[in-house]
Amino acid sequence: MTATSEHRATYKQRYQDGDPGLRFQDLTYVGNFKGQEPIPDGILGDRMIRSRAKSGVLERVAKEGVLRDQFTIDELNDLNNYLAWNIWDVLVMRATEGVSGMIPRQEYEILAFMHEFYRWPEILRMTTDEVGAQGIMDIGASARREIGTKVNAVHDWCIGAVGFGMGRCGLLALEAIGPDDYIEESNEILKFMQRVLWGKRQDGYILNSQDRYRCRIHEQDFLDSIVDQVEHFEPDSPPHQAFTRFNAAAELLSFLDHYDCRLGLGDTGPYELPDGKLLILRDLFVNEEAFHWSDVCDDQGLPHCYTLALVIDPDLMSLEEIRVNDISTTFTRPKNYISAIVGGAVFAREKWNTPMAEVYNIPVADLGGHLTKVQNATLKLYQKTSRMNRRDLIWNGQYVYYVDMILPHLRLAGTYDKACKDYQLWEIDQRVSNYYYDITKRGFAQVTVPQKIFSGEGYLPFSDGADTRRSKYRWL
Amino acid sequence: MGDVLAEGYNVFNTNKSPEGVIKYLGAPQDVIGLIQSGKLGEHILLVRGGTTTFLAPALSMGAIGVITMSGAPESHLGILSREFQTPCVMTAHLTSSDSRYVVGETDDSHFEEIARELDGKRVRLDCTDHEVGRVVLAD
Repeated sequence: MTATSEHRATYKQRYQDGDPGLRFQDLTYVGNFKGQEPIPDGILGDRMIRSRAKSGVLERVAKEGVLRDQFTIDELNDLNNYLAWNIWDVLVMRATEGVSGMIPRQEYEILAFMHEFYRWPEILRMTTDEVGAQGIMDIGASARREIGTKVNAVHDWCIGAVGFGMGRCGLLALEAIGPDDYIEESNEILKFMQRVLWGKRQDGYILNSQDRYRCRIHEQDFLDSIVDQVEHFEPDSPPHQAFTRFNAAAELLSFLDHYDCRLGLGDTGPYELPDGKLLILRDLFVNEEAFHWSDVCDDQGLPHCYTLALVIDPDLMSLEEIRVNDISTTFTRPKNYISAIVGGAVFAREKWNTPMAEVYNIPVADLGGHLTKVQNATLKLYQKTSRMNRRDLIWNGQYVYYVDMILPHLRLAGTYDKACKDYQLWEIDQRVSNYYYDITKRGFAQVTVPQKIFSGEGYLPFSDGADTRRSKYRWL
Repeated sequence: MGDVLAEGYNVFNTNKSPEGVIKYLGAPQDVIGLIQSGKLGEHILLVRGGTTTFLAPALSMGAIGVITMSGAPESHLGILSREFQTPCVMTAHLTSSDSRYVVGETDDSHFEEIARELDGKRVRLDCTDHEVGRVVLAD
């Protein structure tokens, strides 16, 4: 199939100065900007909310600013407002999905949010003390020459957006804290996030939404070595079907292994290739050794991660806009990019720390055996999960968020074992343990959380004159 | 086009128009039972939520079409049905009813009505429109 005059991509217009981008949804955002013009999703939304910032923290930031240990109150509030909009931008429609029927996700999510806000600051501070501010930025930079690494958009974003943003928002909604509590701890979390993301992108921005939803982080020579191994095929041909079927099945298992959350999926790109096609690199983490339920994935001999290189023909689908958002997920208009995939390659990384030189290519013709293993693991994990009681499901899911979101950074810093042993990472704080009984009352998890966290209503600002050293001293 | 029984978000536009008898799946045991019956390919699957784990083995084993009563294309089930190229209509509402799903404000009667009206009907999914997916009564 070849592009005709009726099939012509227009997506590059999205990268022209002043282009507002497309709207992917009809809803608008207000957040802390009551009485002002509502903010839409996408490129225009990014531009509007940045124009309302009081500091320069949402523009390209120099390295010296990232190395500085302390944000100002204006910078903290600008980050709070931007993350709240960004959360709404990527999650407000997802949050309409209702009950799972399998995993009580809303319940485990809110517990994890609050647990992270309480527990992460001292662990992140310890990690920064161990490797230094530059060391944290180097952890981010490591993703520029790797595939199959969880140092990726969604994990890095979660440090600030979830651990700080949603965690603080949830505790405010529960009235467990006030707006000016835990400012020092908020700074600790956000600095860690900024350093990792800045080190990864190295263009001065921290989020994909600031760069018109592009996550082009890989070095060119590294990308070339991937592209050299791409196999080309026609849409709907047998290799296309084998490749896309494997992509879907492995992606599904990555969701299931991570308790129906996005941490198992990591897209980067879009990278424009010399022939005008677009490359998306997709990590699918199908076997996380930190989770005890991944034993069924071990039994099938699955690697830690499959990485897929997807080559998309933008003309074939008349591509109007492509977003790799900050939770590492690709969305396009028109929506169906699968049918425009014209090439691909698959790689496997056996363990999280397998050297890049040992990551190996799996020819598309050999995917059948891997697909069977993925399907078997999916069914076995499903059966295993369906036998778990509600409490186990909630706390397992809580661990997926609370541990996995910072796991890759602690692993690379060499502080994961210390966090487990000296900081009791896998113990549950008594405050959060008690919240388990509160979150189902008055619809807190199912009604309040979507209203406050995903709609952006609950991200209260810090006071203008607040002391940046402030923690929480009073329970009155 | 035949009688449109329900409409919702179309996850992705496709000319695929799967036809089958709607089967409401209320618990993981229903999903496992359907797979073990060997009749997965005969049914359009109707589920309440828009999350993906609940239908995981059904999607992996080749579900032909999905209808949900909540969620959107950005939900996990929406993302995965796109990846599988399994036509999917999300947050479907009955064309014969005024009841609509609103997050946090919808009681069980809304979902029960949809399940009662659709379960067992032979339908096909029309997912040709960019935005609206339709559940059409088959001839």
